[in-house]
Amino acid sequence: MKWLRNTIEVWAYEMKCALLDEGVVVFFIIVPLLYPLLYAYLYNHESVREVPTVVVDNSHSTLSREFTRRVDATADVQIISHCQDMEEAQEMIHHRDAYCLIYIPKDFAKDIAEHRQTVVELYSDMSGLLYYKAVLSSCTEVSLDMNKEIKAQLIPGATDEQISAFQYPIEYQYVPMFNTQNGFATFLIPAVLIMIIQQTMVLGVGMMAGEEREKVRKHIAEPHIIGKNPIEVLLGKSTVIFTIYVFVAVYLACIVPSLFDLIHIWRWQTLLAFMVPYIAACVFFSISLSSIAHDRESFIIMFVFLSIPLLFASGISWPASNIPIFWKGFSWLFPSTFGVNGFVRITEMGATLEDVQHELNVLWIQTFVYLGISYLVYKRTYGKQLWA
Amino acid sequence: MKALNQIWAIAKREQKRMLQRGIYTFCMVLAPVIAFLFFTTLMGEGLPSELPAGVVDEDNTATTREVIRNLDAFQQTNIIEHYADVADARKAMQQGKIYAFYYIPKGTTELAIAGKQPTVSFYTAASYLIPGSLEYRDMKMMSEYASGAVGRASLYARGYTEDQAMAVLQPIKMEMHAVNNPCLNYSVYLCNTLLPGIIMLLIMQVSIYSIYVELKEETSKEWLAMADNDIVKALAGKLLPQIVTWSLMGLFCLFLLYGVWHFPLNSGIWPMILNMFLLINASLALGVFFCGAVPSLRWALSLATLWGVLSFPISGFSFPQMAFPDTLKGLSWLFPLRHYFLIYVDQALNGLPLYYSWLNIAIQIAFLALPIMVLSRLKTFLLEYYYTH
Repeated sequence: MKWLRNTIEVWAYEMKCALLDEGVVVFFIIVPLLYPLLYAYLYNHESVREVPTVVVDNSHSTLSREFTRRVDATADVQIISHCQDMEEAQEMIHHRDAYCLIYIPKDFAKDIAEHRQTVVELYSDMSGLLYYKAVLSSCTEVSLDMNKEIKAQLIPGATDEQISAFQYPIEYQYVPMFNTQNGFATFLIPAVLIMIIQQTMVLGVGMMAGEEREKVRKHIAEPHIIGKNPIEVLLGKSTVIFTIYVFVAVYLACIVPSLFDLIHIWRWQTLLAFMVPYIAACVFFSISLSSIAHDRESFIIMFVFLSIPLLFASGISWPASNIPIFWKGFSWLFPSTFGVNGFVRITEMGATLEDVQHELNVLWIQTFVYLGISYLVYKRTYGKQLWA
Repeated sequence: MKALNQIWAIAKREQKRMLQRGIYTFCMVLAPVIAFLFFTTLMGEGLPSELPAGVVDEDNTATTREVIRNLDAFQQTNIIEHYADVADARKAMQQGKIYAFYYIPKGTTELAIAGKQPTVSFYTAASYLIPGSLEYRDMKMMSEYASGAVGRASLYARGYTEDQAMAVLQPIKMEMHAVNNPCLNYSVYLCNTLLPGIIMLLIMQVSIYSIYVELKEETSKEWLAMADNDIVKALAGKLLPQIVTWSLMGLFCLFLLYGVWHFPLNSGIWPMILNMFLLINASLALGVFFCGAVPSLRWALSLATLWGVLSFPISGFSFPQMAFPDTLKGLSWLFPLRHYFLIYVDQALNGLPLYYSWLNIAIQIAFLALPIMVLSRLKTFLLEYYYTH
């Protein structure tokens, strides 16, 4: 049982090192602790409400005023001004006082009275796609209601059901599932949480490895490493990281979502069975990658920027079905790609373990492949006992 | 003249250091180029098309099959599977096979013919916001169309003309204009800020690394001595090769966005070159400022990393800033990428005269004053501090 004693010795020493190294503590503990809070606070409102909108009402009729009033009453749009003409309205948009413009034509009321279709034009500043969505959906909603009422006048004596059947011979309803409010926080934050696990781990491990390389170059021996074989060192170190990240993961996957009322409908058994291979894959991925860490800091500047491409490569934003094959292959190298997809489906969509089988399998494969690479890395670093 | 010579000598020394170490080549050339190519080719389609969707057609009549064929023909939707019931379709969604499904209950056709107003429904996996909302759009359009077709047919049968029929079916119609990005191209919407954002992040990190690595390698005194211990000259020499490299990378980024991908450029290229140049210098200034704020390579880098990564959400190019809490709205003024984004919106996207952007331009220039505040501190750090773990 010498190997076990050796491993535990490495574990105890490395745990102490990691927790006393402020640079490592920043990445292992402080960033995972604070970053999600910041993100959740940022996207607290979930969606855009009361988008400032201007109206150019050339109709000046009771009906057009009614239309404007109802649009104003919706949650997503707020009418901030009535402009004389398009120039004035555009000027307000250019100054970012408003983001959308509703143009009601001169013949609006007349057309309706004379049974002609009338067209209301909507303009949206395209600096944000959510403005577009807000004004379009609010105005469409109002127009559908008003159309119904207008039709009641066209067919006197008809009952509500008849009018409705006339307008919509086939009724339809839309059901957004899982993220029922189409909320931005609900969509983005689970992915960010999973990303944080991988990215902070890579940075922290890279920093530790960089320091070891520096010491090896200077022939400074870590006392606890002497006389241990690489597999014992690897086991000891990887379990240190694993232990720390068990706590981090509990915080990220369980506490943060309930703190901010994000959807979390997982069963704990499913979550556990999924997170264990994810963390394990991240641990060995980090160790493998840390083989290129030359010194303590270079790793940070080489890896941080990747967080943003990796978030996109996971398919949470730009759909995975439409990611070019080359980048898909690239994304398969990273545990986060599978972690994000599996976690989002488990936590928000109530997927069972069987539903995320594909992701689960890949994470286990990654764990073992990266374990093999990690072993080679450690054999090279510690096998020759360079300082001895 | 002597000062210029000194700066030149330091710049040459820096250039040599940059070429010797792979990390500079990686972070200043390779990493940005990979990121640029990644984002622009990832979203090369502009709008994702042929997204996988399912149907549950319990009615299965000629009419419903026609509806499904039409839905499949829509650009964003690709029907990959018919499911026996809603539970199966839901399962497929949980497995990540489809983003949405369309449900036609039994008897829909019959009820529609009898004028009894049946209901069809469509479900989207809203956790995947973009594909979910795109398929929603197609399915809603399809539903409107199907309903309209039945309605129109019954009106035509009563002798209505097409115009008359439309006036009855839809007296008020909405017509949407997405100004300057009519096809809602996601690449335009995201890449225009993502790419410069990557540059900004790397600039801050590389500048900090390049300054404090001198402390770590105990060469900072030698570096400052080349400038007669004048921190301004020392920094000027050190940053000069970086400014030149980043400017070239910035131009390459603009070339990619507006020359290769032909994104909207209603202002002409010059305002955007100015915008990029301001971003590069503001980011460098922030990098130097962080060095002066905390006398440690690691802490300055951590600060820059926090600032850099936070720049992306806080710029408000994906989730608009108006929905942020007020404190964060105020905080966003301190992020160069936020101003870059606003200048881009005024200039390249909307083609407004330059004076509309004066405030953001002024703030980007004001960032350049930040290093002045910490110059003497930084000099002390470089001359008297030692690198510690």
